[in-house]
Amino acid sequence: MNLSRVFTKGIITSPERQQEADTDLSIVKRVQAGDVAAFDHLILKYRERVFGVVYNLTSNREDASDLTQEAFIKAFQSITRFQGNCSFFTWLYKIAVNTTLSHLRKNRLRTFFSLEKLHEDGTNAQILEQLTDKKGADRDADLRELQEKLNEALQKLSIPHRTVITLFEIDGLGHSEIAEVMDCSEGTVRSRLHYAKQFLQGELAKYLRT
Amino acid sequence: MPPTDQLSKISVEDLLRLKRAERPAAEFWTNFERELRQKQLTALLRKRPWWQELPQFFARHSYLPLGASAVLAFTLVSVKYYTPAQPTQAEAAPAVVAARPPAASITATMALPAAVSSPLVNRSEPVTPAPSSVAAAVPSSLATAELLPALIPPPADETPSARSIAANLETLKQSEPELVNAVMGNRLSALPRGQYPTAPAAELASVPTGATRRSRILAQYTDHPLSPEPTAPAYVRERLARHLGDPDISDRISRIGLKGDQVSLGLTLRL
Repeated sequence: MNLSRVFTKGIITSPERQQEADTDLSIVKRVQAGDVAAFDHLILKYRERVFGVVYNLTSNREDASDLTQEAFIKAFQSITRFQGNCSFFTWLYKIAVNTTLSHLRKNRLRTFFSLEKLHEDGTNAQILEQLTDKKGADRDADLRELQEKLNEALQKLSIPHRTVITLFEIDGLGHSEIAEVMDCSEGTVRSRLHYAKQFLQGELAKYLRT
Repeated sequence: MPPTDQLSKISVEDLLRLKRAERPAAEFWTNFERELRQKQLTALLRKRPWWQELPQFFARHSYLPLGASAVLAFTLVSVKYYTPAQPTQAEAAPAVVAARPPAASITATMALPAAVSSPLVNRSEPVTPAPSSVAAAVPSSLATAELLPALIPPPADETPSARSIAANLETLKQSEPELVNAVMGNRLSALPRGQYPTAPAAELASVPTGATRRSRILAQYTDHPLSPEPTAPAYVRERLARHLGDPDISDRISRIGLKGDQVSLGLTLRL
């Protein structure tokens, strides 16, 4: 168990994450010992989060699906190399982000949206309520427009800035975790985050109320 | 969309949080799982290129110190390409010739080109005094008349082991001549110098022309008469018989035409 090293690096920021990392590590050890089926637990646990990261970086559901699968396969193939120096979650995110960034760089000029449906639930219902007071088809059209503007604004950001703001604001990773995933310093993460927010404020000014 | 003045505080963070609500439906995960399973199986069955295994190999064997590996590699390369300092040809050749007695001139003339031109000898031994000391110790009559047939074939003479064997044999001949005759009592040692075994003309005449060179040579060195070539094994004959019915063979035969004392051949060019 290399948890002490993980604590030293400050990657695991909360007791919940620590417990999660312990559970993941035990599953990873089973997979490394030859229990291939145990990897399914990790897929089921992280598929939505990994898909979310990739989807928010690409704004394309088909690409996101393929890249998520590719990330899991890469993780499966190289799981024997996982030494536990960081949490499995961070390691998997790193693979997914690197795979996605590689894809985005290859297809820099080919960007088209294929967006998922915007689900209205308790957390975002209030905001959506403020953004539109219409009902029925008009409301759906407004939400669709907002969704497209939001994705357009994100796609206008450079890949590193997009990655930072996606991981921080949408996926809820800490600065240190993002720095670990992106192989850069926390200062760089903060700087990119600040610049990305400023850019988005300019792009989405129509929808903002301060 | 409500007018801007009716909106309460909405930040970029709030808008970005809406992105969390973009989630795929449940059936999406069914397809996702099926596709992932297929790709996983394909990845398991596909053999990865060797260069992708290199990082894993080095990670697995990282306990081997890099310095030790470098030293080991250097040692192996040094041993393989080590060439000791050797005297020049002008210095080496007279030493070999001078060490030999005049009567052993044949041996000396045989050894001289080897000392000068043979890469094997040049690489492993600069100029070894062993052959010259052996030749000096051997009486001249023995060295030329009896030792030479035993050293056939000539290339073996160039090697140090052959020279060593020859020296031991000579010593043994002096001390135990009967034993040497019993052991080496073949045609080669019984022959006088310069005469090599030749088959009698009658025996050669009895050799069938279709016999292989191997059979003829064997027949010369054995007391047994030359046996005819062994028949082809059964499986070869079976294969031949099987192919006799092939249309390809009949086609080839049909292209050979016999008319009187003329033979015509039909040829086909395939480009």
